[in-house]
Amino acid sequence: MEIPYNVELRKDTGLYNAKLGIWLFLASEIMLFGGLFSAYILLRTGAPVWPPIGEHGSILHMLKETVPHATFNTVVLIFSSVTMVMSWVSLKQKDLSKYKVYMGITIVCAIIFLAVKYFEYSHKIHEGFIPSHDIYMALYFTLTGLHGLHIVGGIIVLAYLLGPGISMWTTEPDRFTNRIEVVGLYWHFVDLVWIFLFPTLYLLN
Amino acid sequence: MTHHISNYRKVFIFLLIGTALTVAASYFEFNVQNSIAGAIFVGLTIAVIKGYLVAANFMHLNSERKMIYWILLLTAFFLVLLLFIPVLWYLNNMSHY
Repeated sequence: MEIPYNVELRKDTGLYNAKLGIWLFLASEIMLFGGLFSAYILLRTGAPVWPPIGEHGSILHMLKETVPHATFNTVVLIFSSVTMVMSWVSLKQKDLSKYKVYMGITIVCAIIFLAVKYFEYSHKIHEGFIPSHDIYMALYFTLTGLHGLHIVGGIIVLAYLLGPGISMWTTEPDRFTNRIEVVGLYWHFVDLVWIFLFPTLYLLN
Repeated sequence: MTHHISNYRKVFIFLLIGTALTVAASYFEFNVQNSIAGAIFVGLTIAVIKGYLVAANFMHLNSERKMIYWILLLTAFFLVLLLFIPVLWYLNNMSHY
């Protein structure tokens, strides 16, 4: 049995089904991250000193040290959003080889982001700034950890669409192009969350 | 499509400028009654503009179907409600004094 509305648009929604599906999923994601941002505001406004002073002293100095890493990661993620949208444009232009290049760059950017995050986490943990250190560190690891998991999930899907999943291009090119648009929406959302996490966790303390 | 590509390039440059401004603003002393309220306002305003650029251009929200706008409107309503919980908590605490 064929799944309906993979390519053609439903008359009532004006969308193909996967697009409606991803937007509903992103709506739930907005609430997930929104809940955590709400917790952040609640805990920050309730704290007598921000960031709190733990047994290893103020974390302000440590935070300033990691601003260059986080800035670099912001640029990497923004760049990956551009290459992501360009991979979709390439398919619209029926240019599969260009698609492969742009999708490959997107995956490399995602891996670079995680590698920088790994060094950042190692540095903090080595200095004793673990999640139980204080409420700021708990929020920092929860928010960036959840965001990092989204990056990992994105890499898996993007790698599939560059690897085995690419065979759909020969059988159903329009459906494959839609898949790239849908995964692109997810990827841009992950970028958008980082745009808010970056100043909130690294700069405005 | 050529128009789209040049638009994506422009957005990329604006996002880079926004990132540089966010970092620069965090080192700037806004001096609003000895608090960092000014820095938070500036930082979050830039983040909102950057978020809008990503959503409107890369996610194509500047020309989408009505159904998606309705979904997002409903989500925005509940998100605002969620973000207002700390304010309600604060007001509730204030009433004890």
